[in-house]
Amino acid sequence: MSAAVSDVAPQASTAPTGGGVLRRLNIVTAVWAGSALAAIGWFIAHELWQDGDHGSDQVVLVTLICWSVGFMVGIGAFNGPIGWIRGNDLAHEDELFLAGKDQGIGRYFRFTTDHKVVGIQYLIVTMVLFALGGTLAMLIRTNLISPDSQFLSAQTYNAIVGLHGLIMIIATIIMVTGPFGNFIVPIMIGARDMAFPRLNALSLWLIVAAIPVLFSAAFLGGIPTGWVGYAPLADQAPPGMDAYSIFILIFAVSSAVAGANITTTVLTMRARGMSWRRTPIFVFGTVASVGLALPAFPLFMASQILLQVDRTQGGQFYVASGGGSPWLYANLFWLMGHPEVYVILIPAIAALMELTPVFARKPLFSFNTAVIAIAGIVGLSVMVWAHHMYAAGWAPDLNGPFMLTTEMISVPTGLLFLVILGTLWRGRIWTTVPMLATYAMLWNFIIGGITGIYLSDVPADYALHGSMFVTAHFHYTLMGAGLTGAIGALAYWFPKMTGRMLNERAGYISFWLVQIGFNVTFIGMFAVGLAGQPRRVVTYAHLFAAGNLVSTLGAYCIGIGMLVLLYAIVSSWMHGPIAPANPWGAKTLEWTVPNPIPLENFEVLPVVTEDPYGYGVDEAFLTAELVSGSAPRTASTGSATATQAEVAAGSGQQVATLDREAGQL
Amino acid sequence: MSTDLPAPDGPSEPVVQSVAGWRAERVRIFWIWLVLTGLLVVFSLTVPARLMGPPASPTMHSVESTMTLFSVAASPVAALVWAIALYSLLRWRSKGRPTADGPAIRGHAATTVAWAVTSTVLCVFLLVWGMAEMIVINSPAEANAPLVVDVTGQQWVWTFSYPSQGNVESDQLYLPVDRPVIFHVTSKDVIHSFWVVQMGIKIDANPGETTKTSVMPDKIGVFDVRCAELCGLRHAEMQTSAHVVSASDFNSWLSQNGGHS
Amino acid sequence: MTVSAHVPVAGHPAEDVQVVGGRQRTGVLLLIVADAAFVGALVFSYFYLRGLNTSGAWITQGMHTATIWVGWLIGLIAVASAWCYRSGVNALRTGKIGGLIGGAGIALALVLLDSVVQIIQLASLPFKPDANAYASCVYTLAGANLFHLLLTAVIGVGIWNRARLGRYVATNPWQVEIVAIWWNWIAVAAIAGAVTTSFIASPNVGG
Repeated sequence: MSAAVSDVAPQASTAPTGGGVLRRLNIVTAVWAGSALAAIGWFIAHELWQDGDHGSDQVVLVTLICWSVGFMVGIGAFNGPIGWIRGNDLAHEDELFLAGKDQGIGRYFRFTTDHKVVGIQYLIVTMVLFALGGTLAMLIRTNLISPDSQFLSAQTYNAIVGLHGLIMIIATIIMVTGPFGNFIVPIMIGARDMAFPRLNALSLWLIVAAIPVLFSAAFLGGIPTGWVGYAPLADQAPPGMDAYSIFILIFAVSSAVAGANITTTVLTMRARGMSWRRTPIFVFGTVASVGLALPAFPLFMASQILLQVDRTQGGQFYVASGGGSPWLYANLFWLMGHPEVYVILIPAIAALMELTPVFARKPLFSFNTAVIAIAGIVGLSVMVWAHHMYAAGWAPDLNGPFMLTTEMISVPTGLLFLVILGTLWRGRIWTTVPMLATYAMLWNFIIGGITGIYLSDVPADYALHGSMFVTAHFHYTLMGAGLTGAIGALAYWFPKMTGRMLNERAGYISFWLVQIGFNVTFIGMFAVGLAGQPRRVVTYAHLFAAGNLVSTLGAYCIGIGMLVLLYAIVSSWMHGPIAPANPWGAKTLEWTVPNPIPLENFEVLPVVTEDPYGYGVDEAFLTAELVSGSAPRTASTGSATATQAEVAAGSGQQVATLDREAGQL
Repeated sequence: MSTDLPAPDGPSEPVVQSVAGWRAERVRIFWIWLVLTGLLVVFSLTVPARLMGPPASPTMHSVESTMTLFSVAASPVAALVWAIALYSLLRWRSKGRPTADGPAIRGHAATTVAWAVTSTVLCVFLLVWGMAEMIVINSPAEANAPLVVDVTGQQWVWTFSYPSQGNVESDQLYLPVDRPVIFHVTSKDVIHSFWVVQMGIKIDANPGETTKTSVMPDKIGVFDVRCAELCGLRHAEMQTSAHVVSASDFNSWLSQNGGHS
Repeated sequence: MTVSAHVPVAGHPAEDVQVVGGRQRTGVLLLIVADAAFVGALVFSYFYLRGLNTSGAWITQGMHTATIWVGWLIGLIAVASAWCYRSGVNALRTGKIGGLIGGAGIALALVLLDSVVQIIQLASLPFKPDANAYASCVYTLAGANLFHLLLTAVIGVGIWNRARLGRYVATNPWQVEIVAIWWNWIAVAAIAGAVTTSFIASPNVGG
């Protein structure tokens, strides 16, 4: 990947010379360095240990770690720390180089710190993961089209089920906070970049380094444990399980780094005047998500380190005969695993709460309720993990208390529905693709939520646990609400991120194909689950044949819809119509910056004087009836924004004044 | 929408609607809600329990009642959300880009409080119901003279043994009807999950631990035992039959297999 | 642990050092939260398996267990190291760069010494990690502590070298102060490890 891209050449004589070694490092050198170190590691480990008791696992472990370290060296992740130790601080032109100034497309393939570049990189990574996980889903459903299909062998099927699960979980975890948390949030809060731009690049490239590790599992016997990787099945699994562990280690580091970075950015870098009450709800959702992931993923990491001690050193953590316990794994896993569900859901729903006011042309209904609900979900989500273990026999006496906390969480979740419904109430509904995502979420998440209530009930869970009913339930939440929200967010912010409008016709077609296919697939799965089909089975009794056939046909419909979405994204990105700076007439700060967005977003830092939901008019003079309990918190838009000096596009934005002196404050 | 839209000029002339107009809308939403609720209640009463099949124990009976009851209780909630969403699409949708903003409603304290209180009450109801149900499903464990069955999972078969009946061993489960049974469940290798589908009981078989579950089969017939936890290559085939037979048939089965009653 | 100062591009005025410093401290505190969750998970694993005593095999009857005082020695050296580093930071606050070089240098030496003690302990434990759950736990806790110490040594080399090169001034002690928080944390974590491994026999002997 050469640095000589079109827009650098004319300025070559005057271009700054910063960057040092990093000028020569990019994804190609990273792959070379990773492969070289992996080869060396493999050779040494193979010579030393291959014949030992745990030889093949040790060799795979060493090789994959060497790959990851080599990749990070090759991309230049260690240049910063080494330079720091040697006492070299970055010069101004080094910063400029790192931020990707004047590097055209090339900046997307190196250790670039600009949050907008990182956001786009995350978007691509997410889409690649969804493409792979989705393809695996098609294979799974094809195998299940009839009980006698024998499309896949049991071994391949189990390996694919685990890979599909893990890829999709990782993809959904990063699908909102990765692309939009990085690209949109800093602009939304009026900052020029993230708090720690180099950590931002680090978090992205760690995931890129880890993706080949994850895929290597497919060639190392797969992940035959389901995505949960339950021990002691994981202790006896093939070396694909080592790839799983290494992947989780790297991902946990990446998410800790990203979480600390995004949280710090929001805590310390909001624009002047952006009090918490004026901070957009999507920012709350993002911080809740990454802040929840921050202490949760290290537990997953610990569970995998223990697993590696078991697998490569003969440890006894999960081996009952040696004093270990499978319940240790289950506890560590679900202590991460249930917060993780909300790590996925909260930002997706927050994105929908952010865009609903724009397309209903109304303020967000009860902003405070939305914030309290998010906080309540975060607080409760760390107290519900053992509802995944009602049937484990782990602690039968705790089933009652966990049933309480689990059912409690429906109260704050219900409030999120109220916020969205209240926002729709008597709005001027503009049914764009992003707004349709809100409606789809209202439909799907109600079904996901109610089926969750059956599973929270201990006796009903005894009957349903481990069946296809559970699979359908969490797809309704993570896909029906989570992924739908992320697609809505993508359609909403696409004009800002790419500078082009998303092809609307293809967007509608994709939306309906995906949503109809989705409901067909998983309603079929609910039916066979209730009738008693277990999860993760390569074949099943003929009793379940009709429901499975329906599910498979629905899944193909989703697949076609997703291909249409992919077409819409790619074609619009390449030659869609140029987007105006604020195509939706939204009021958050990201719509005030011009397209394409300048390197540091804001020429002059904005000063915020009101919240971003100042839609509509004070209707006290229209009808006194419905506003009795709700005196508008801001005065009418006209007077509050008396000094509008907005330059970019659209008036009535959250910025009332652009303070020319702001930078010196 | 085309892309060369003019930037919106902030709120323009709002659509003025009379108080009576809003009242009429709320009445219409109420009717939509009522119809949706009715449809969902009919669905709740007929579909979930039927899909689960005829129960073979009081436990499964209780689970199916729960499914029906929770579905009925959730019906008005789902109907309310969908009624408002549907109505907003039908009547408040603007043709293309809205030219005016909606009313600046920033919240409505009474609605929020009512919403929160209602959902909390529903939650408490679910919890109380669940606790009561747990007492019901645990009652076979407290009954007098239950039959004890040791269940062992291993890749990929179930083994049942009857310790008080001369350690009779079988790869199919035989149970006498109308007698409480306690299962002591363990595993020889990885985690399995012992699931008697039509009796609504499930408990994991963990290596190194013994877990317990109990049931009272109340129907003669052949039922399904499946493994509900992914346990390796042939997890899908790890299933067998549970035969619920009369007390005398059970005794003769025992004696045929070298045991005693 | 790299913290990058945000030098504005395009001629925007530089941010105040107090603002940047406070921001970097927030970031490091959050990373410590994540690390604390990890250490907490290891400690939880130890006590959970000890409490369960599955198959009565937490420890093997009559086995030689780890010597408790070695863990405490490692913890105390870490505390001493953190204390030396802290006094170096205090010296910088009063403008004595030499004090920082000395304090950070001694702290670094102590951390390296501590790493050596930790390696000796790992190499001389009277059991292998595959002996039983207790053995696996001890090796893992010690390994995690060694990782902490080595990471701190790398950071310490950086601080010492940068102090030597005159990169720190009394008016901007933020970076060395933030590292002090990390240094204190690894001392706390080492002590937590020592406390954990002081409880050996399972209270659950009946099962």
